Amino acid sequence: MRYALLVQGAPYSHQAAHSALRFADALIARGHRLETVFFYHDGVYNASRLASPPQDEPHLVDAWRRLNEQQGTALLVCVAAALRRGLLDEREAKRHGKQGYSLEAPFELTGVGQLVDAGITHDRLITFSP
Amino acid sequence: MLLHLLNRSPASSLVHRDTLRAMGEEDRLLLIEDGVYGALMPLADRFEAIHGRLFALREDLASRGLDGRCDARVTVVDMEGFVTLTEESERTVSWF
Repeated sequence: MRYALLVQGAPYSHQAAHSALRFADALIARGHRLETVFFYHDGVYNASRLASPPQDEPHLVDAWRRLNEQQGTALLVCVAAALRRGLLDEREAKRHGKQGYSLEAPFELTGVGQLVDAGITHDRLITFSP
Repeated sequence: MLLHLLNRSPASSLVHRDTLRAMGEEDRLLLIEDGVYGALMPLADRFEAIHGRLFALREDLASRGLDGRCDARVTVVDMEGFVTLTEESERTVSWF
């Protein structure tokens, strides 16, 4: 089956990202495909390229990146939720006259329409909220 | 048949009431994260109406030191069991 996950919890504040990542590993182990993860609300902080957790703690941003490398999972970030929280890719940073940027590939800024699309085109959509 | 996910303890939130009200006759409920506190007595009594359709996630019970303390009416599943429940349900609804 084709799965999509919706992550709405910030990393290191709520369990949502941990639950979603463990669920992702389990569904892949059962032979399903994780095609899309959509980050919304405070969940967009999962995409911060500058995240630097202590070395003896799970690196959640890297864990999402690994899913993209292994499964080709699309890591979609709601652009409206991201910009107002200071998560900008290079293009948006330039457009808004900001120095530096905080989001990069494989994470992609997209509209919320992509979430609706994921709900329609995937077999299952599971929400992990704070 | 829908799978409902609840991540709030019935001791700290009343959202389980909305969940139970919304559940269809065949629907199942999986308690995850802090929701697993609802798998223990006396809180488990709140879910009497969905007897046989109540599940709790083993990993979240274990991480709270609650493994083996579940009420007998609750079916404990691991992460693989969680995936299986989503396979068997047409849609999944999260309550938080």
